[in-house]
Amino acid sequence: MSDTETTQAAIDAERIRRAEEAGEDYEIGLVSLSQWQLAWRKFRGHRLALIGLAMIGALVLIAVVGPIFLPYDFATIPIPDKIVYQGRPPSLDHLFGETGGLQRDVLRLVVNGARTSLFIGFSSMFIGVIIGTIVGAVAGYVGGFLDNVLMRIVDVMLSLPLLFVILVASRFFGNGSVLLIVIIFGLFGWMGVSRLVRSQFLSIRESEFVEAARAVGVRDRRIIFRHILPNAISPIVVVASLIVAGNIIGEAFVSFLGFGVNPTTPTWGNILSNALTFIPLGNWWWPMFPGVAIIVTVLAVNFIGDGLRDALDPRSRA
Amino acid sequence: MTELLSAEAPFGTPPPRETLLDVRNMKTHFKVLDGIVPAVDGVSFSIGRGQTLAIVGESGSGKSVTALTIMRLLDIPPAIIGADSEVWFDGKEILHMPIDQMRKIRGKDVAMIFQEPLTSLNPVLSIGEQIAEQVRLHLKVGNREARDRSIESLRTVGIPSPEKRIQQYPHEMSGGMRQRVMIAMALSCEPKLLIADEPTTALDVTIQAQILELLKVIQQKTGSALLLITHDLGVVAEMVDHVVVMYAGQIVEQGSVNDVMIEPRAPYTMGLLESIPTAEKRGARLSVIKGVVPSPFHLPPACRFEPRCPYAWDLCREVAPELSRVGGSGSDRLARCHLHGPEGESRRAAALENHVGAMRAGRGLKENPA
Amino acid sequence: MIKYIIRRSIQAIPVLFGITIVVYGILLAAPGGPTAKFNQNPRITQQMKEDFKRAWGLDQPVPVQYCRWMGFCSKEVDDKLLGVLPAPAAFIGPKGMPNFLPTGLSGASNGVLHGDFGFSIATGELVNTAITRAALPTLILASIALFVWLFVAILMGVYAAIHRYSLFDQAATIFAYVGYAMPTFWLGIMLIFLFSGPGLNLLPAGGMTETRVSPPFGSDDYWVYFGTHTLAAILDVGRHLILPVVTLVVVNIAGDSRFVRASMLEALGQDYVRTAKAKGLPGRSVTFKHALRNAMLPVVTNIGLEIPFLFTGAIVTETIFSWPGIGRLTIVAINSFDYPVLMGVLLISSMLVVFANLLADVAYAVVDPRITF
Repeated sequence: MSDTETTQAAIDAERIRRAEEAGEDYEIGLVSLSQWQLAWRKFRGHRLALIGLAMIGALVLIAVVGPIFLPYDFATIPIPDKIVYQGRPPSLDHLFGETGGLQRDVLRLVVNGARTSLFIGFSSMFIGVIIGTIVGAVAGYVGGFLDNVLMRIVDVMLSLPLLFVILVASRFFGNGSVLLIVIIFGLFGWMGVSRLVRSQFLSIRESEFVEAARAVGVRDRRIIFRHILPNAISPIVVVASLIVAGNIIGEAFVSFLGFGVNPTTPTWGNILSNALTFIPLGNWWWPMFPGVAIIVTVLAVNFIGDGLRDALDPRSRA
Repeated sequence: MTELLSAEAPFGTPPPRETLLDVRNMKTHFKVLDGIVPAVDGVSFSIGRGQTLAIVGESGSGKSVTALTIMRLLDIPPAIIGADSEVWFDGKEILHMPIDQMRKIRGKDVAMIFQEPLTSLNPVLSIGEQIAEQVRLHLKVGNREARDRSIESLRTVGIPSPEKRIQQYPHEMSGGMRQRVMIAMALSCEPKLLIADEPTTALDVTIQAQILELLKVIQQKTGSALLLITHDLGVVAEMVDHVVVMYAGQIVEQGSVNDVMIEPRAPYTMGLLESIPTAEKRGARLSVIKGVVPSPFHLPPACRFEPRCPYAWDLCREVAPELSRVGGSGSDRLARCHLHGPEGESRRAAALENHVGAMRAGRGLKENPA
Repeated sequence: MIKYIIRRSIQAIPVLFGITIVVYGILLAAPGGPTAKFNQNPRITQQMKEDFKRAWGLDQPVPVQYCRWMGFCSKEVDDKLLGVLPAPAAFIGPKGMPNFLPTGLSGASNGVLHGDFGFSIATGELVNTAITRAALPTLILASIALFVWLFVAILMGVYAAIHRYSLFDQAATIFAYVGYAMPTFWLGIMLIFLFSGPGLNLLPAGGMTETRVSPPFGSDDYWVYFGTHTLAAILDVGRHLILPVVTLVVVNIAGDSRFVRASMLEALGQDYVRTAKAKGLPGRSVTFKHALRNAMLPVVTNIGLEIPFLFTGAIVTETIFSWPGIGRLTIVAINSFDYPVLMGVLLISSMLVVFANLLADVAYAVVDPRITF
């Protein structure tokens, strides 16, 4: 027995002893918690994940409420008291400064951009997860030839340089509408989920409780939705958080290159794209704040993803 | 090193030349989340040149930590080594010497064989390279000679066609073969002391006997000293000259193997011997020591074996027994039990008789052969 | 080993085939088609558009177009089966062998299979020429970025693992979290502001060479200049490389240094590391020979899978820094609806992805003796 095992055993023994002394029936206490209650308990213990959750909560609030207080209309051109072509650095009146050219308030742009960027990030994730879950479930449950065909399609899709393809697709089909970008990102973001769901299905399909359900004559649809899918949810949730982060950066990337959302709609990528032409003027505040907004969002989503991974992994202990 | 050690402990005098390894008052504690675990708590013993000694004890008794402390393989922290602990090896204090000097001793003069031959060998290096790198390092020889020596030591441990085997990787070998490789590696620089930490625990029963036999033969052939660490008193009798029995980080009994096996003095040793399965016990319920090793956070206040001891009385709960000389003067038997103190005189005979009875029952003998 | 590589290459064929269909499908589905760019031009009549389509074979049914583009069939045979599929005779090359065989066997030289990606409809140039010209700058950028990325990520990860919880480790953790969340293009912009803005004019904001001194990169004049002023030319390109390389590698370093650290920590806790210490090996040897070699096993695979992202990252980096490479070529082609160039670029980069995956598997098998072929 190694020394670490010795000390670990000692610590465990001590935990149990203390719990017993305190009159807690630790075993029964665990059993009475559902899987989700347990996961929430573990998630709560993850400091970074809680910070991430608070950050996302604040961002969603800003995205929903912010535009009411700081409305943005492309046609409304602010008439500043003083015209400065390169814009003006942050001041008390304009906390994030003013853009070059039309001298718009950067804070206003960033707040309104949050609405579009978050909407695109989350809704394209939902599309991707739904497609991926259906494809993975069918492939894993039906198996055989269909499984083979679907998985080869996944292989092909994963071999494409997706951002290239998304760029081409947004340029060729895009008319600058937010919805189209959401659909394009959804259509090219399901492969990871489908692989994951398929592997979950393959392993759970053979488990005893599914055999038992089948033996008593439960229909396929019910087995899939009531018996197998709930067990596959935890890994999907973790991957979904990564997809949100990827799509927010991806949208900014596509819009930045000018192939995404219509430039009249503020998204974080569009603000950056406009800023690029003003680089020689040195107005750093213009690109900085939308970039920081992207970093903060992605950071928060990644924190939550880390927390979820730890909380939903049945092997990890609280 | 630790803060404790920075205060340059005043070392004692070196042991006489015949003594190869002299462990004096070794204390190894671990700093963990909830406090400090005294894994080894004041252990002293010595081994003469070419002699063999076994440390016996259950899991968690501190026997493996003792070996790792001698080799200085524990990470500091979490390990804390007692400032007044000393380990003398071949006339030098090694527990507090600079780690660079210790590296020159490790693998050359003291070699260690670990419990798990699968995980203890590096999976991405050929076994030839794993042996040869040690030979090159310590014996300052070139590639060619290192290779020849590696082949030689593989041959010594009974690996067939070693010229081919040196190109193989650990995963291509069976568990017994891997342990032979570990032994070959340990022997490659002709160490003065071989430490074997449960060398057979991870192996099949049939292979266990072969490996033990190999260790014994090699020890006799090379004349190196052997420190065998095991939980199995059964293998000890055939392997070593001296035995140290450990319990909860302390030595409870030590002496020559014949004395300890035939006339154990500490109730813990008695219990261990009674629980060895024998052919005669087949079908009968095995005698076991009741209870488990106590949590290192909550050691019993006085005698650490007291809660499990069938002979314990009030004194055992109040005063910790010392490790003291038992048997006649000039004997090297030591035991840690109040039974052998003045207060235990009245109970001593009954306890010993009880043990003899239990052992006889185990051998299928009648209670009173007379 | 050779057998394994051949087997894996054969397995890759259906995937590559699927990629050609997807690439072709995406561009085919685009509204407007290749004549869309004429829509704004009032002088071009409907008749001229029809002629244009006929001249390029775009009036043919889709399967015929696909087969010709791929090089399965010869475009000289204009018969069709059922009006949809190419006639069987079209599949026979000039030498009487199947048309899709290599040029030496079949005598055919048309289509992707024979290395012919057609003409750019924007410039009329051969796609091969355009891609080859753009490939060198991208290769220079990507290979230096790859080197910096691996070197820094491994060094950072190993150092952080050995000195766990040290100040360096904590700083590296923060860097990893933030760096991983950072959009590449934003970093590029901010770097330009910092280093080439009006304040601190240290490094060039874009381009590959100093235009006032050297001829444009890749031109014949440039190579003459390169021959006479070798050192100055290399230093010039090097100066222009600094910001794009940093932009390109930060995200990858952030992710991989954590990965290397985790992998290294796991390796350092293994029994064989204890054995290596027990043998008396010096710390350097324990860390690099015994622990790092094992820690690199998962890292090798991971890196193989990430190499394609260098090319995606290159698009945006090249745009920001006006680097005359494949990324820039792609953006220009997207803007001008230049189908043949886009198809060529998409296909070649997909093949690179498949090749990188293959390479990762082979590399894994080489470093881990436990993998048998």
